[in-house]
Amino acid sequence: MSIQASELQRTFGSVTAVDGLSFEVKGGEVFGLLGSNGAGKTTTIRILACLLSPTGGTAKVCGFAVTDEPAKVRQRVGLLTENPCLYERLTAFENMDFFAKAYGVSSEAERRQRIGQVLDFFGLWDRRSDKVAHFSKGMKQKLAIARALIHEPPVLLLDEPTAGLDPKSAKEVRDAITQLSRNEKRAILLSTHRLEDAERLCDSAIIVEKGRRIAYGSPESLRKKIIGSPVVEIIMRKEDEKVVEMIRRMVSHEALEADGSRLLITVDDAELIVPEVVQTVVQAGGLVLSVRVLKPSFEEAYLRLVEEAAEH
Amino acid sequence: MLFPLILIPLVFAVILPLMVIGSTASVPAQASSYGLLALLKTLPIHARDEVMGMTGREAIIYIVSVYLFAPIFLVIPIMASSIIASDSFAGEKERRTVEALLATPLSDSEMLLGKMLVSFVPAVVVTVAAFLVYSAVIDQFTLQLFGGWLLFPNDIWLILIFALAPALAFADIALTVLISARAKGVREAQQISALLLVPLIGIIVGQVTGIMWLDPSMAIVMASALAAIDAAIFVATIRAFGRDHMLARLT
Repeated sequence: MSIQASELQRTFGSVTAVDGLSFEVKGGEVFGLLGSNGAGKTTTIRILACLLSPTGGTAKVCGFAVTDEPAKVRQRVGLLTENPCLYERLTAFENMDFFAKAYGVSSEAERRQRIGQVLDFFGLWDRRSDKVAHFSKGMKQKLAIARALIHEPPVLLLDEPTAGLDPKSAKEVRDAITQLSRNEKRAILLSTHRLEDAERLCDSAIIVEKGRRIAYGSPESLRKKIIGSPVVEIIMRKEDEKVVEMIRRMVSHEALEADGSRLLITVDDAELIVPEVVQTVVQAGGLVLSVRVLKPSFEEAYLRLVEEAAEH
Repeated sequence: MLFPLILIPLVFAVILPLMVIGSTASVPAQASSYGLLALLKTLPIHARDEVMGMTGREAIIYIVSVYLFAPIFLVIPIMASSIIASDSFAGEKERRTVEALLATPLSDSEMLLGKMLVSFVPAVVVTVAAFLVYSAVIDQFTLQLFGGWLLFPNDIWLILIFALAPALAFADIALTVLISARAKGVREAQQISALLLVPLIGIIVGQVTGIMWLDPSMAIVMASALAAIDAAIFVATIRAFGRDHMLARLT
């Protein structure tokens, strides 16, 4: 297991930023820390990167405890911080070279080769001699991720990797993360408040609120767990009791909600049920205007969870 | 950055000595004339013996350039390093680059030493360069005045520049870097580290008033003591430096 956190805790004075978080991340997995601002995501990442010590609990990265062997942990972790943390007066190449040396890539030839690889991967090789101050936000973010990879770490900790990026740059970053996980089998833990990132990237995620884990699972299972099964919406040209009766025979009474010409049918498997339902409606003489599967979004699941957590 | 690295050494190495040399043109011939008695009384006996045979102008130039300017010259390495040292970690925090640096596997001592050396080396280079210029300026104008006797270099200044100044600079830089790691920003670090000038001001005042006298043996004792203090400060700085503490204050 690449990352193991057990009852992780961190307080700042009277404020508990991380409160008993437990999770595991294995190589090749993209694990999400999902939560609103101030939920404890960045603090968790800083603990795993050995920038902050936990005030309780334990954490291990690649088998090394963060409290006992921080230097070994740092050597195996590539960190993307909340800010890109790049030296703006230096060029892209100079930034990479500095951090390569700091991470122990002592041979100049090896550094050049490695820098060339990562800059090329992110499409920044042609800009290697330009000062970072002249880079766009998206380029800086990609360069910062490139920096996190310079020493070939088995673990990547990415704090809000697509924050503030335009859609094109965000997609490029997401594609890069997917490739790093699938092809290079790195364990990737990313924190985000962008639910689309979590849905598109993460194999599993925990939802964090006020430092506590309030849910865990794959994005799909989280959605199902919270909101429940998908709902098929059929809108007919006019209200038709005969159609309603036919459908009631197909599904349970509780699964059907008829609201005039609008039918809402809760199903387990939309792909299986929708063709049958539509066929039944048509055979019963119903005139179908539209059929839609109202799949509750991860956003709805997340917001509902957070509201419930706040109430408790 | 230009001011402490270039202009301050220029003032001490060229402008001030030229002012002293220029202003002594109308000094009375005898060093023991009434106007110089007060100055002579501040000197230790061996120094008084050195100047007794000199003219008034020779005595003033000798006392000021060899003795009174000596502790004042120690301001150069401190001022030259102050901006770089106070920016070391505080500047990284302001520019939001500190986290990536702290996340590297560099040890605390490696990081601190690196930050200190980047201030120490220019400070020492500037101090030595200023001394060379100062020596040239003084010797240029006094060679004829003293009948071919070169005032510089001399033993006290060699100890001052190559032992005492580096040792003092190292102590000041180590403490300034630690202050920089603890301060919220560069300005705060600069303001707090300005207090480190107080001991140096004490030395200057002591020299000018005659309370203490920076002769070669005193300079060697001070340099040796400072070297030991430097080692202790460095160890204490490593212990006091904490990535956790630095980031906790940022959070």
